[in-house]
Amino acid sequence: MNPRRFVVRVFAMARKEWMHLGRDRATVLFALGMPVILLVLFGYAVSFDIDHIPTVLVDEDWTPESRSLASHFSSGATFELVATVGSAREVERLFREGHAKVGLVIPKGYGRELARGNGRVQLLVDASDNMTASSVLSYASRFNVWKNHELLRVHFGNRADLIEVRGRALYNPAIRSVVFLVPGLIAMIQSMMAVILTALTVAREWERGSMEQLFATPVGRLEIVLGKLLPYFGVAMAQLLLVLALATWVFGVPIRGSMVALLGISTLFLLATLSQGLFISVMARNQMVATQAAAVSSMLPSMLLSGFVLPIENMPRPLQIMTNIVPARHFVHALRAIMLRDADLSVLGRDAFALVVFALVMLVLATRRFPRRLA
Amino acid sequence: MSAIIEVVGLEKRFGTFQAVRGVSFQVDRGEIFGYLGANGAGKSTTIRILCGLMTPSGGTASVAGHDVASDPEGVRFSVGYMSQRFSLYPDLTAMENLDFFGGAYRLARRARLRRAEALLGDVGLSADDPRTAGAMPGGVRQRLALAAALLHGPQVVFLDEPTAGVDPEARRTFWRIIRKLSDSGTTVFVTTHYMDEAEYCHRVGLMVDGALVALDTPSGLKRAHVPGRLFAVRGTGLDVARLRELAGVTHVEPFGAGLHVRGDLLTAEVLSEAVRAHGGQGVLVEESAPTLEDVFLAVAARSSAG
Ligand SMILES: Nc1ncnc2c1ncn2[C@@H]1O[C@H](COP(=O)(O)OP(=O)(O)OP(=O)(O)O)[C@@H](O)[C@H]1O
Ligand SMILES: [Mg+2]
Repeated sequence: MNPRRFVVRVFAMARKEWMHLGRDRATVLFALGMPVILLVLFGYAVSFDIDHIPTVLVDEDWTPESRSLASHFSSGATFELVATVGSAREVERLFREGHAKVGLVIPKGYGRELARGNGRVQLLVDASDNMTASSVLSYASRFNVWKNHELLRVHFGNRADLIEVRGRALYNPAIRSVVFLVPGLIAMIQSMMAVILTALTVAREWERGSMEQLFATPVGRLEIVLGKLLPYFGVAMAQLLLVLALATWVFGVPIRGSMVALLGISTLFLLATLSQGLFISVMARNQMVATQAAAVSSMLPSMLLSGFVLPIENMPRPLQIMTNIVPARHFVHALRAIMLRDADLSVLGRDAFALVVFALVMLVLATRRFPRRLA
Repeated sequence: MSAIIEVVGLEKRFGTFQAVRGVSFQVDRGEIFGYLGANGAGKSTTIRILCGLMTPSGGTASVAGHDVASDPEGVRFSVGYMSQRFSLYPDLTAMENLDFFGGAYRLARRARLRRAEALLGDVGLSADDPRTAGAMPGGVRQRLALAAALLHGPQVVFLDEPTAGVDPEARRTFWRIIRKLSDSGTTVFVTTHYMDEAEYCHRVGLMVDGALVALDTPSGLKRAHVPGRLFAVRGTGLDVARLRELAGVTHVEPFGAGLHVRGDLLTAEVLSEAVRAHGGQGVLVEESAPTLEDVFLAVAARSSAG
C-alpha cells in the first residue's frame, strides 16, 4: 500500500464528510446544542446539595430562649422558615400537602428546662424523601454538637475540656456535589454524543445507496473508517470544549490541573467513543437500529459503570472489573483527577492505556466487519 | 481482437432463489453491449458481479483481464459503474461529488479537479453549477453520475438503466455521449427497458428469468426471431383468435394500439381482405420493419412456453 495514496483517500473521505456536515444544519445544531442542554438540565438535576428546605416552626414556649434557638436554626441556607403554626398536628398537615419537609417543635417550658441543663426540642422530618431526611438528621446532630459546645463555653468559659473534631474538605471546600458530579456528567454526555455522531454515518450511506457507488471504487475499508472518524473528531472536540467551558462558567467547577493533560486524555476518550459509534454503524444497516444501539451502548455504561454516580469501590468485584472496558469510567477518573485535584499525571497512565486499547479494538472491529461487497 | 469481458456459466443465488442461471458471453473492446430483460430478469445482478460488487455463486467472469471473484480490486480500477439507483451524494454539488469520487480512485487533488472539470464539460455540465445533485433534474443528474463513473478513465463502463425516467430529449443526449465513448475505445455495457435505445447497441443480449436466451446484433436478432414479413394492422373489431387461424399467418401479437401479424407468404392486400372479412372496421395494413420489441415479444413468448 502506497502511504501517500492512502492519505489522499482518507482526506478525500474526510473532506466529503465535512461537507455533509456543512450542509446539514440540523445535525450541527443538534451536535452543539444537545450537550449544552444536557449539561444544564442534568447539572441542576443532580445537584444533591440540599438547601432551602421548607421548614415550619412550632414554638409553644415563646421565650427569648426559644426564639433564639429558632432563629439560630433557620439562619443558614439549609432551612427556610415557611410558616409558624400552633401544633405538631398542623406540621403533619403541611407535610402531607407538600408545603414543608421539616418541623421544629419547641415544647412549652423549653426555656425553663434549658436553664436546668435539660433543654429538649423535637425535629420532625418528612422521610418519604430519604435524601432530604438523612441530610436533615445529619445536620441536626451537627447542630446539637455546636449548640452544646456553645452552652458549655457560656457556663464554664475556657475551663471546659472540649473535644472538637473539625473536618476540612479538600478540593471541594463547600462539599458541593456539582463539583464532583459534573466531570462524570461531562463523560456521560460526551459518550452519548460521540457514539451517536458516528453511529449514523455508515448506516446513512447504506440507506442513501451511496455505499454501492463507494464499493465500486477501490477505496479501502480502513480509509472509509478513518475518513469518517476525522471530521467527527473535530465536532466532538468542539462539543467537549463547549461543555467544559460551561462547567466552569455555570457550575463553577475548577480546572486545577494541566490543560494539556486534559486535552490529551479527552482526545483519547473521544477517539475511543467515536470508534465505538463507527463499529455500531458498520454493524447496523439502517439509522434506526444504529441510533438505538448507540444510545443503549453508550448511555447505560457511562451512567452506571463509570463511577459517575455509583462509586466503583462499592460494586461487586465482577462489575468492578467490567468497568475497565467502559471508556467513560476512565474519563471520569481522569477528569476528576485533573480538574479537581491537579493530580500527578502518573495516575492517568492506566486510563490513557485503557482508552487507547479500547479505541484500537473498536477501529479494528469496525474495519474488519466492514463488508466490501453487496452480497 | 480479444474480448474485454468474458463470462462463462455465471450463476448467482440469493438463498434458494436463483437470480442468474449459467450465463455465458463475451464483449469486445469498444463495443456497445446492450442488456435487455423484464424487471427482475437479473440484469443488475449480472452488472454488479462484473463490477466486483457481488461474488458469483458459480461460473467465472473476467473484466479487462481481472477475475471478478479473485481480483475485485483490479476490476474496480478498470471499470466505471453507474448504478440503477442514483447513488452520488444529493447534498453535494457536481464538482464536490466528482472531487470525492476522484479521491476514492486515488487521483491526487489537483489532477482530479482538472479531470472533473473536463468530464463535466464532456457531459454538458458546468463545473461551477451551484446546484446540489439532489436539486438537479433527472437527466442532468444521470449525466453527472456518468461523469463520476468515467473519472478514472476506465476501459469499461457499466451503465444500469442510465435513462430510466428521463425525457426523450435527455435520452438522446445521453446516447450521443455513449456513442462518443465507444468511438474513443471505451467499452459500454448498458441495460435498458427502452427497445428503441437497444437499436443503438452493437450487440444485444436478452435476459429472461436469469438466463441469457438470445444474443446478437439487432438485425441478426430480428432475422433469427422475427422471420417472414411483418405487417402492422390497425382498426377496430380485430379478432386475434381468428387471425391466428388464417392460412400463412405464423404470429399475431398485440402491438401498441393495433396488432403485429407475421407470416411468410402473406401480402398486405390478402391480409387486409381477411381482417375485414372477420369483422374488422377501418382496417389499415402496412408492411413494417421488425423492431427489437417484436424480437423481445417473440423470445419472451417462446421462453415462457418452453
Ligand atoms: N441482494 C439481493 N438479495 C436477494 N435477492 C436479490 C438481491 N438482489 C437482487 N435480488 C433478486 O434477484 C432478481 C434479479 O434482480 P435484478 O436487480 O438483477 O433484476 P433486474 O433485471 O435488474 O431488474 P430491474 O429491471 O427491475 O432492475 C430479483 O428477483 C431480485 O429480487
Ligand atoms: Mg436492475
